[in-house]
Amino acid sequence: MSRLGVFVDRKTLSSAEQLNALIRCRDTAEEMGHGVEFIFPVDIRKIPQMDGLFIRARTDPMNVTYVASRMASFAQIPVIDDPMSIQICSDKVNMYSRLMQHGVMIPRTLFVSQRDLCPARAREIFDDLGSPLIVKEPSTSFSLRVEKVTDPAGLLQVARRYFKMSDWIVAQEFVESTYDWRVGVLGGEFLYACKYIIPSQTFKIQDSVNGHVVYCGVQSVPPDMVPAAVRELGVRAGRAIGNGLYGVDIKEGPSGPCVIEVNDNPSLEGGEDTAYPDVYREIVHTLLET
Amino acid sequence: MPQGILIPEAQPSPDLFTGVPSQWRASREKGDPSTALSKDSIHMAERDGTIYLVSENYSYKSEAYYSILEREIRGQRVAPDSSSILDAFVVPICLERAHSCGIPVADYAISQSCIPVPAVIYGLNYFACTSHFEVLQENAQEREMIRHVTNNGKYPFCSQRLDVGVRIERKTSIFGMVASPGKGMADMAGRIWECFRIPLVEIVCLSGPDGLRLSSLCPVRYSHLSKVEKSIVRACLSGQEFL
Repeated sequence: MSRLGVFVDRKTLSSAEQLNALIRCRDTAEEMGHGVEFIFPVDIRKIPQMDGLFIRARTDPMNVTYVASRMASFAQIPVIDDPMSIQICSDKVNMYSRLMQHGVMIPRTLFVSQRDLCPARAREIFDDLGSPLIVKEPSTSFSLRVEKVTDPAGLLQVARRYFKMSDWIVAQEFVESTYDWRVGVLGGEFLYACKYIIPSQTFKIQDSVNGHVVYCGVQSVPPDMVPAAVRELGVRAGRAIGNGLYGVDIKEGPSGPCVIEVNDNPSLEGGEDTAYPDVYREIVHTLLET
Repeated sequence: MPQGILIPEAQPSPDLFTGVPSQWRASREKGDPSTALSKDSIHMAERDGTIYLVSENYSYKSEAYYSILEREIRGQRVAPDSSSILDAFVVPICLERAHSCGIPVADYAISQSCIPVPAVIYGLNYFACTSHFEVLQENAQEREMIRHVTNNGKYPFCSQRLDVGVRIERKTSIFGMVASPGKGMADMAGRIWECFRIPLVEIVCLSGPDGLRLSSLCPVRYSHLSKVEKSIVRACLSGQEFL
């Protein structure tokens, strides 16, 4: 019997859906004959006693999840998400750079340094990417700090806010769609797929509209219903980042599918895996049995 | 890449240097604006195929961080590398990595509530900077300081017990060298350089009867460098042998 550590924080436990997902994970590992221990930030020193670590909390190189991941890697324990995946996926400049380097199709993308951005440069960016375009602060998650702008003045205004958090930001061609594909990839192989149906009031999968948070709908899609091009692109994107667990967001644009982002620590609590009952089994197997 | 030789603002006294090659102490240098250590400036020196990047702000998503990342993705060898930066400025990771390199480190705990005092505490969150640590001396202070460091209990923090007779010692390391007498800190700086390869960093240690133990690494503002330290940085950037 091996011991699986599941790293969680207070925020993970504050959602009923997350709790249910964690219980499913624990039950699966126990059915496979392994022990499961939930590890909180104050218990981080227990990590070297585990045989594998599964992080289920919002990851960022600047928070305690990265400490947990690094602790596991120092102790040579298999970990999802591994430190390099956190470092790459938490920073969109890093993530898009890796995807470009591996020839993975993404919307036209520019990195903009605070040192370079001026009204003339803002106009050039619109000339390059068209209007509207999307501006992203690199460590955005859950569609926070992602805005659509329609002119250079709007770009400068949004950039000024985002530059308080990062010296570089991302400007990207806008690809319109009513849904995003989410392709789950584990160890460089296809794991699951679902659709995130974008709320009609917004262009993001999650947004605040008139003071109310609107969420996307989730539709788990069986493997035979996933277009081969989407599936292959998702796997290529995952492999470009690393060997861990990723949720690859894909839009079907006018020139074919393109990757919008690759997420480490993908959500599994919203019904993403309904058509894939073995997702947790695959994760536990990867961490403890390979 | 900066070129030229500089005249230090003040010729440092040789006995202030520990670990600095003798040719630096004797060198006469003349001004070069490319090595002006102005706010937010980034400087590079290349040796044996590795680009050494000097910055007063290596933090995550800073201009220096992205300059390093850009070179890594191009396949260039750069020091520090982006992973080392992330390791160095998150205290528990810094201590674990230093420990794995054989460097004596402070005992630490991660907590979200009360801790025994006296202690040094560091925030563990997106906004925390290692140079903004707090020293808790008495219980009365504890709650307020912890509230401050944890953003009202939202994030955990890292604490290090300050035993009787232990004091905090801080020194700036420039390419693994310190401009001060004292073998202990010079050894520490050399070992930290080998472990993290950060050209400009402040070393915070707990100094006690058993010697120095690493507490954290912090970024260094150029404006906080002494004249001697600035002259060492400029000498490194001006193309003299330093490795």
